[in-house]
Amino acid sequence: MQPAIDLNARRCDQYPVHALDPSVAGQLAEDLPREDFLRIIHTFHEDLLRLTGEIVAAVPRGDVVGFQRAAHSLAGAAAAVGAARLEAAARQGMAGAQPPSVALAGRIEAEAAAALAALAALST
Amino acid sequence: MSSPARILLVEDTQSQAELAKALLRDMGVEIRHAETAGRALADALANPPDAILLDLELPDFSGFELMQKLRAEGVEAAVIVVTANASVNTAVEAMRQGAVDFIVKPYAKARLTVTLTNALEKRALTQELKTVRAQLSRDRFFGFIGASAPMQAIYRTIESVAASRASVFITGESGTGKELAAEAIHKASPRAAKPFVALNCGAIPRDLLESEVFGHVKGAFTGATDNRVGAAKQADGGTLFLDEIGEMPLEMQVKLLRFVQTGSFQPVGASRTEKVDVRFVCATNRDPLAEVEAGRFREDLYYRLYVVPLELPPLRDRGQDGVLIARALLAQLSREEGKRFRGFAPDVEQAVLAYAWPGNVRQLQNVVRNVVVLHEGEVVTPAMLPPTLLRVAPRPAAPVPMQPALAPPAAVPVATLVAEVMPAEPVAPEWVAPAHGPLPVSAPPALPISAPAPVTITLPSPMVVVEPLAVMEKRLILAALAETSQDVTRAAALLQINPSTVYRKMQQWKATGELL
Repeated sequence: MQPAIDLNARRCDQYPVHALDPSVAGQLAEDLPREDFLRIIHTFHEDLLRLTGEIVAAVPRGDVVGFQRAAHSLAGAAAAVGAARLEAAARQGMAGAQPPSVALAGRIEAEAAAALAALAALST
Repeated sequence: MSSPARILLVEDTQSQAELAKALLRDMGVEIRHAETAGRALADALANPPDAILLDLELPDFSGFELMQKLRAEGVEAAVIVVTANASVNTAVEAMRQGAVDFIVKPYAKARLTVTLTNALEKRALTQELKTVRAQLSRDRFFGFIGASAPMQAIYRTIESVAASRASVFITGESGTGKELAAEAIHKASPRAAKPFVALNCGAIPRDLLESEVFGHVKGAFTGATDNRVGAAKQADGGTLFLDEIGEMPLEMQVKLLRFVQTGSFQPVGASRTEKVDVRFVCATNRDPLAEVEAGRFREDLYYRLYVVPLELPPLRDRGQDGVLIARALLAQLSREEGKRFRGFAPDVEQAVLAYAWPGNVRQLQNVVRNVVVLHEGEVVTPAMLPPTLLRVAPRPAAPVPMQPALAPPAAVPVATLVAEVMPAEPVAPEWVAPAHGPLPVSAPPALPISAPAPVTITLPSPMVVVEPLAVMEKRLILAALAETSQDVTRAAALLQINPSTVYRKMQQWKATGELL
């Protein structure tokens, strides 16, 4: 039975910048009952708000450890729902010992918003 | 039906936790969630999980550190590391820290469920193996102390039979723990919360036995001034232990048979029968079949009660158990008596192992109590033991011929002693030297219980050969050492001399070149 995953994959492909990896997000939508999927998107949304807030707040403090830890959590959460670009941006924040970058924090925020939009579309 | 596996999910990101819970829902496992390593540790200690799904990056301390703490606390859950960091180093470190598997985020439902199922199966097998190993090497079981193979078999039989309603017939010499076995059967059974009622049939006057078992109503006989509930009713829902059942009069056996068959009985003087649910456990130190053949025990009752036989081994057949029990008794009795004893001298433990213990554990208990009460110190020395224990015969073994003299050898039975601390048991006879014939070191006593077979050693007849005393002495000491595989303590016990005498003689012979 492939129609559901195909449909979800097609939905993911509709987003020209591919904020979501169709193989992950589509599989998730197929594996889980709809109410579970919606709940996960909802909690993912809450995690994004919290973690991007921690990342942005770490920049003016020069808090490398806090920045990297939040970036690590964000990378894991993003990977789990197939938010590939957000995961890539967060992984950049995990690496190295350089001071937290305003530019990277802004990019992470933007990717988080794109991932949420894509997931919201997938859940409709 | 077994309870669902308990999974502890350690994950600080809520959406990750929700995802894992949703993916595992179909597995029917019980999932608890901890957001920090500290909470996970507290949760695992309070309610040990079967498996832990562990994120490595946690707010308070790392997942690896948590694994070390869990291991140090003895939590044996199967740990599966779940991480966004897919590096080989992380995987290697996870395995080195004791993780059973490693999952990289993102993961598919099948990957998570298969990994968890495998980990749970492996853990179940490990636990089962551990349980079996523990069962095979356990040195305590309910009230029993003992790690010997015969006792492991007893423990297993008790466990196997406990859940059943089948009657158990316990046999064994006096002091082997028949009532302890009956209590263990009861405590291991589903009846454990109900009464265990023990009745010694041999200690109750014949006329009162029926009333003791079935109770009586007021006025049933002279002196029955009130209704009395018997053991059968008291044991309703539980276990009725009839000790020394071989002592039960035949007319009472008929009534007991009816009770065993129907579960119903009639109190003495009552007009109505009562029905109870009782599990029967009986014991005797006699051979029950021989009692049937002798007409002292009803055959039909025998077959009703002798459903699961349980034969308790005598202490002399339990290897090192004697020392284990003696140590436990010493600790317990020293506490009770306010003494400082901490252990036994090696010679004493040797003597405990060498002695045949015809009165079994009860006799050993009496000896240890005797030592604790009469002596002071931290270590029990040979001088504190009752003399009979040091004059002990070796355990039954194949006869070892001693050096023959010129005259034909004579067979001599070596002493089989009983301890003097057991007032109910016969006391070891003194030396008796007849004018002619074999020289008995001491005659085996006529025991009411089966005594160990005497060891036969051939000795030269002192009536014929006269040798220098020193020569004879050396020959006898060396022969005793050969008989006991060079065990000085036992050799000295055989010769009824102090072990230090044997050591001194051997040193002397070595010094003069008479002994290599």
